[in-house]
Amino acid sequence: MSAETLVLALVVITALGFDFTNGFHDTGNAMATSIATGALKPRVAVAVSAVLNLVGAFLSISVALTVTNAVVKTFDSNASAASDALTVPGDHLLMIVLAGLIGGIVWNLLTWLLGLPSSSSHALFGGLIGAAIASLGWGGVNWVGDGTKLDGVVGKVLLPAVLSPVVAALVAGIGTWVIYKIVVGVAARFTTEGFRWGQIGTASLVSLAHGTNDAQKTMGVITLALIGSGHWSHTDAIPFWVKLVCALAIALGTYVGGWRIIRTLGKGLVEIESPQGMAAEASSAAVILASSHFGFALSTTHVATGSILGTGLGKPGAQVRWGVAGRMVVGWVLTLPLAAVVGAAMWGIGNLLGNTGGAVVEFVILLALGGAMFVRAQRRPVGAHNVNDEWSAGAAPERSQPELATVGAVR
Amino acid sequence: MSAFGHDLEFMLEAIWKVVVACLVLGAGLPAVFALGIRSLAWAHGGEAEAGDAAPNPWARVVAYVCFAVVLYGLIVGIMYVVATGHGNNISLEHVWPQIVSA
Repeated sequence: MSAETLVLALVVITALGFDFTNGFHDTGNAMATSIATGALKPRVAVAVSAVLNLVGAFLSISVALTVTNAVVKTFDSNASAASDALTVPGDHLLMIVLAGLIGGIVWNLLTWLLGLPSSSSHALFGGLIGAAIASLGWGGVNWVGDGTKLDGVVGKVLLPAVLSPVVAALVAGIGTWVIYKIVVGVAARFTTEGFRWGQIGTASLVSLAHGTNDAQKTMGVITLALIGSGHWSHTDAIPFWVKLVCALAIALGTYVGGWRIIRTLGKGLVEIESPQGMAAEASSAAVILASSHFGFALSTTHVATGSILGTGLGKPGAQVRWGVAGRMVVGWVLTLPLAAVVGAAMWGIGNLLGNTGGAVVEFVILLALGGAMFVRAQRRPVGAHNVNDEWSAGAAPERSQPELATVGAVR
Repeated sequence: MSAFGHDLEFMLEAIWKVVVACLVLGAGLPAVFALGIRSLAWAHGGEAEAGDAAPNPWARVVAYVCFAVVLYGLIVGIMYVVATGHGNNISLEHVWPQIVSA
């Protein structure tokens, strides 16, 4: 295997690893409410979500080559030939993408360990931004777009992140309030069974939309790497094997399930009943689909979290744990900068050791950090068996010194 | 105006449309669904509802109309995901959603 092929292989494997963490990080966005209310058994819920993510991933035919362009200037989509479209040398691009992916994965795993839902797209964008700043300087980042449409870090990442949870919370809050008004006095056997089906339907729609949106990002990244290394020359198509492996990776990740995050979303933030579960997922589905219709890029995680919070606000007497919500918001604010720090550090290693050696060392560091966080998670495992335990029992992992030490090592 | 200002402007222009669409789909349809469930209980009568009313068979029709509306919304949603995944869009001109090129 030549050195170039080795680097490309590491990029593809790392991208699939990111896709996998994207899947398991986001299982809770669709299924946490159904699991918490018992509408679906935990194992059944993750299986349904995985299948729908798989189907959704195959539905995404449109080319997402420009996904990285939202934040970094690497690709000129007006170019006629793929080889002309790259604005940085191919081997350079591969190292930026690898560093960015590692930044995204490390942040995804750390937030999973802490049981924090955080946006996988923000983690990926953060990693790419860090790597781009380190290699190309501030000018290598697409901060605000060119003023003709909503674009860049501000338009595609920051503004939606601030607004989408608020809109989702508003819609879910109003929905919840109205639903409880309508069914007041109706016997529980009618409401429980009825809203159970409502929950399953809405959660399934969110899963499908997630598969379509998120798998596409990794497909775009891998195809970009193939173009950068000269293995692919179309800007309007994606190799079938890329689509297949990305769909499988996100579905497998979804099935494995980020139980720590599911628990935080389903039990930690608000105590949820089935009418609230339906209101939350209906709001999430509406916000995700309407936003994509109007051309907004947003994070499923921010929407789902906002919806669940809103459903707690909309039900009279329901309790919202603001401490948990506060931790999440802190996590969201830190996602971009910290993933960027990791991305920049990884690019630095590649720059220091040369492309091939650097890529191998970066990959080994990723495996070591991932392994350490996995081992740490096993001390207080969360799974299908205890995901719905009372929140006060404290199965949620608390921030503690060893975890902070791990972050320190990354910095 | 700076590009940053344009981003803000684009966002403010579109946000109201998004909010209205989301309220109709994300809160309106669940409310219709809840109305369907209320109607089912109404049709059943007796202990199904506070007030112990007599069964009302017509309420079952109302319930099914409500569920049909919600099902329609769900189908439109699925069709939309399928259409946009292929880079297309959907048209509701003929009520039943149809995939059209964007």
